[in-house]
Amino acid sequence: MTMSSTSLATGLRRALSGAGAAGPGRPPLQTRNTRPSRGAATMLALVAPSVVLLVLINAYPLVVAASQSLHKGSLIITGQFTGLENYTDVLTRPAFWKAAWFTVVFTLVGVFGSWLVGLGLALLLRTKIPAGGFFKVVLMLPWVVPIVVSSTAWNWLVATPDSPVPRLARSLGLGDLLFLADPTLAAITVCVFKVWVSFPFMMLMISAALASVDHNVYEAADMDGATKWQTFTRITLPMIRRSTYISWILMTIFCVNDFPTIYLLTGGGPVNATSSLVVLAYRTVFQDFQTGPGVAIAFLMTLALVVISTVLYRQIRKGETA
Amino acid sequence: MNRRAFLGIAAAAASAPALAACTVSGSSNSSGGASDPIKFWDQPWGSPAYNDLAKKVTDGYQPPAGTGKASYQVIPWNNFYQTYASAIASGTGPAVSTGGGFQPFQFAAQGAIAYADDLLETWKKDGFYDDFLPGLLDANKTDNGYAGVPWQLDARILWVNQKLLEKAGVEAPTDLDSLLAAGRALKKIGVFGFGTGTGAGNNLGSHTMVAMMIMNGGGLFDPDGKPDCVTDRNIESMDFIRQLAREGIIDPACISYTTDNLNAQWASGKVATGFHTAGLQSQAAAVKDDLVVNSPLAGPHGDKAALHFVNSVMMYAKTPSQQASEAFLTYYLKNIHQYWDAALINGVPVLKSITASDAFTKNPAQVKIVKEYTPISTTYAARGTKLTAGLAAVDGGQALTQFAQTMLQGKTDSKAALTTLQSGIEEAVK
Repeated sequence: MTMSSTSLATGLRRALSGAGAAGPGRPPLQTRNTRPSRGAATMLALVAPSVVLLVLINAYPLVVAASQSLHKGSLIITGQFTGLENYTDVLTRPAFWKAAWFTVVFTLVGVFGSWLVGLGLALLLRTKIPAGGFFKVVLMLPWVVPIVVSSTAWNWLVATPDSPVPRLARSLGLGDLLFLADPTLAAITVCVFKVWVSFPFMMLMISAALASVDHNVYEAADMDGATKWQTFTRITLPMIRRSTYISWILMTIFCVNDFPTIYLLTGGGPVNATSSLVVLAYRTVFQDFQTGPGVAIAFLMTLALVVISTVLYRQIRKGETA
Repeated sequence: MNRRAFLGIAAAAASAPALAACTVSGSSNSSGGASDPIKFWDQPWGSPAYNDLAKKVTDGYQPPAGTGKASYQVIPWNNFYQTYASAIASGTGPAVSTGGGFQPFQFAAQGAIAYADDLLETWKKDGFYDDFLPGLLDANKTDNGYAGVPWQLDARILWVNQKLLEKAGVEAPTDLDSLLAAGRALKKIGVFGFGTGTGAGNNLGSHTMVAMMIMNGGGLFDPDGKPDCVTDRNIESMDFIRQLAREGIIDPACISYTTDNLNAQWASGKVATGFHTAGLQSQAAAVKDDLVVNSPLAGPHGDKAALHFVNSVMMYAKTPSQQASEAFLTYYLKNIHQYWDAALINGVPVLKSITASDAFTKNPAQVKIVKEYTPISTTYAARGTKLTAGLAAVDGGQALTQFAQTMLQGKTDSKAALTTLQSGIEEAVK
């Protein structure tokens, strides 16, 4: 059966006007009414309590914290207004820059390490392996288990010379490795711990992105003679790019703000080797009792996060317009 | 709002918990009615059974006419200062509390403490004042009055595992030379001769450093209370620690030991001597019978001194009634003997009546501590006479923790490390 040229033209006109090809269709679109309708007012009224709550929960502490960062006070008394002195003070402290450097390293390893592991496992689980569902659940455990529990377990694994991992290292002829007492090894251990905790999140994000990729694309590539590597680099990665950038943004925020992973395992030591900015902020406020400088560190950290998030978001936009 | 702005705000919002964690609201000094309950906050000073008994003691308080009864609340040690500070700032804090060793000074400096001078005058009249061991009440004296009243001492004791010493064929150490000799002998049998730790939340390493300085006539402060770390005596003490570290008498992994890690090392017989709290026997129960309180070591110049922290009960400015706070505090201190009677607390008592009790004298370790350590013990102020709010930032602060970790690494020159510590403490107490 063929469609005549008249009926095709009619159908196209109807389609362009918003009507279906065969039926009467919906009425033509009306021009937008810029005045708020009663429905919009109702929606605003319904949203208002949530907005007020969000302001109270987020904005109020931020405003008070901003005030604290501009004063020389304590948790109880506001103290003398010192302008930006707390900021200039912390920016001239070597401990701040050491913590900033570790934060960068910790974040880079945390984001890309967990992404690589998550990507690998997501690709593996995409293939038909026996008990795939079971493995998916098991692999989620590091993300699901409370960090207090997992940090205690890792402490048991590595803390003393008689812990399992140092014993294994000795038996492999690697000598006495001080996983938490040596500054370099402690930094590595904390980063590896972060990757271990975070890869399930990445795996989940990437699995969801992979599931949305049309199989026809792979079949077409296969028919064109693309190798597996070409398929991976020219189809899989570009197709999950948007999801990847979003997961990087989220994981960057998680890593920069991550306090328990570091503090529970090393406390920021030895000799500040694993002190990130958030740990330094905590220790400055609650161990050194310097509220203003501690809050200033937290604000500087927030500023850095906003900049990083904006840069990564631009990458997403680029991807959308490309 | 465009999406970029939204994302920026989202990142800021994600940081809000970190910022909010540092934030409390403004202060309020309004008081409730005189008949409102006296809120008593206490820390876990022992097993959960301790807190059960403390609640029972609190519930047993019979208030004077016109004043309220007392309520009991346990405040966990984690972030306890934050808990107190937040509550005080929001006007929901306690009327009376126990707390950290320097807590009375911290809150006194911020105007939140009710001084105990009038109460002490009352006790002088009824004789209770004389029940305190000599000199302890003055540990809470500030320029404005007594910021608190001591109720127990947290002493840093040199413990030895007698069985391991015997196995190594050495006597209990009496001075630094014999401690070094014992450490070398213990190393030959695979045991660390000096146990400590400076990992997350573990202040025992820092305390050990200060105890070693004080033992040698040094300390962190001069007699006027100014930071004075770079002294010959302190350098001498820290050189000794470095030697222990370099010779492998100190476990190199101890830098990252939490209190649990350290206790596990004691319990598994990996450590034979070291400074610890008075409660080591309960924390390393597996070797409880082998652990003995060693007599205080003599320093290289013949000095004998030790470190302890005076834990106090304090009254707060915001209270339903100052009279009620004082009445409850008096009642409470006259009943704390129950904790030692029931062997539920490891702290060293401050009341003579407790040290003379039958229950207490049955514990030879505690008796030895009171007899040999308490008379020669001093606080962080050491050569100075007054404790201050700034000392809270020294104890548990970053400067002292890093110093202890540096010394335990055994690599850095003692004088250089002490100079860095001096700068850190000056910053902390300014």
